[in-house]
Amino acid sequence: MSSSKNISETIKRVLSDESDVREATAPFQAEFPYERDEEAQVTRREFCNFLGLTSAALFFGAAGFATKAALDAREEVSVSAAHIGGAETLALNSSLNFSYPTERDSAILIRTADGAYHAYGQKCTHLSCPVYYSRDHQRLECPCHEGAFDVATGDVLYGPPPRALDVIEVEVRDGQVWATGRNTSTPKDGG
Amino acid sequence: MEAELKTTAKAGQVAVWQARLIMLVMINIAQLWILAATVDAALARHYSVLLPLVVASGVCFLVTLSIIRWWRPTSRQKTSSGYLRGNDR
Repeated sequence: MSSSKNISETIKRVLSDESDVREATAPFQAEFPYERDEEAQVTRREFCNFLGLTSAALFFGAAGFATKAALDAREEVSVSAAHIGGAETLALNSSLNFSYPTERDSAILIRTADGAYHAYGQKCTHLSCPVYYSRDHQRLECPCHEGAFDVATGDVLYGPPPRALDVIEVEVRDGQVWATGRNTSTPKDGG
Repeated sequence: MEAELKTTAKAGQVAVWQARLIMLVMINIAQLWILAATVDAALARHYSVLLPLVVASGVCFLVTLSIIRWWRPTSRQKTSSGYLRGNDR
């Protein structure tokens, strides 16, 4: 009974405040000297080293991203025609998501109010957020940074995107809608 | 006299460390901006500016490295203000 009382008193002391902690753990402090204040302090040298590591990370990040972009630009994707399932029954002034030319490339098919089909890569050309079709405004909109694209051409209407959406060529064959090719747009300033 | 010299040297060391820190922080901020510009350029397919951006980031990294590794005026025999270091080495 007395031992449990001692334990509870010790716990109470330990949890009370910092000075009590040091007092309660005095035997351990003698064997393992440990100063909390010193432990929490970051020296200028340590901070400089941290900044150096950050600098290295930022450099390798930029280099990696640029390398990947350059490699992706050289990679040639074989494009073949693909049937877009469900496009025939698509209501006027509405959209349908599909993948083209590979499963990883999301795309969006829009059937405008006049019955015409338009398809675009779904990645916004600003920071790759998925664009969606706004029925009310009849345009493609990016919810991330409020960019908008023309539904008939894919051109930028306003916002931060630097170039038009990638256009997917669409053909209607025997009443079925087919995607037949994908054209990547380039920036208007020619960069 | 010796104590006064030591105090001056200590103050100089602190100033140098502060200057070093400020420069490193500024370079890091610049590199952060360069990384953002790289991402922007890659997504916009502005491939011609990618290499200059990466080179600029590399130069920043080298400057950072040189500041941390080699720029050590406080470890020399003379302090940055020209005083001879005392016997504290």
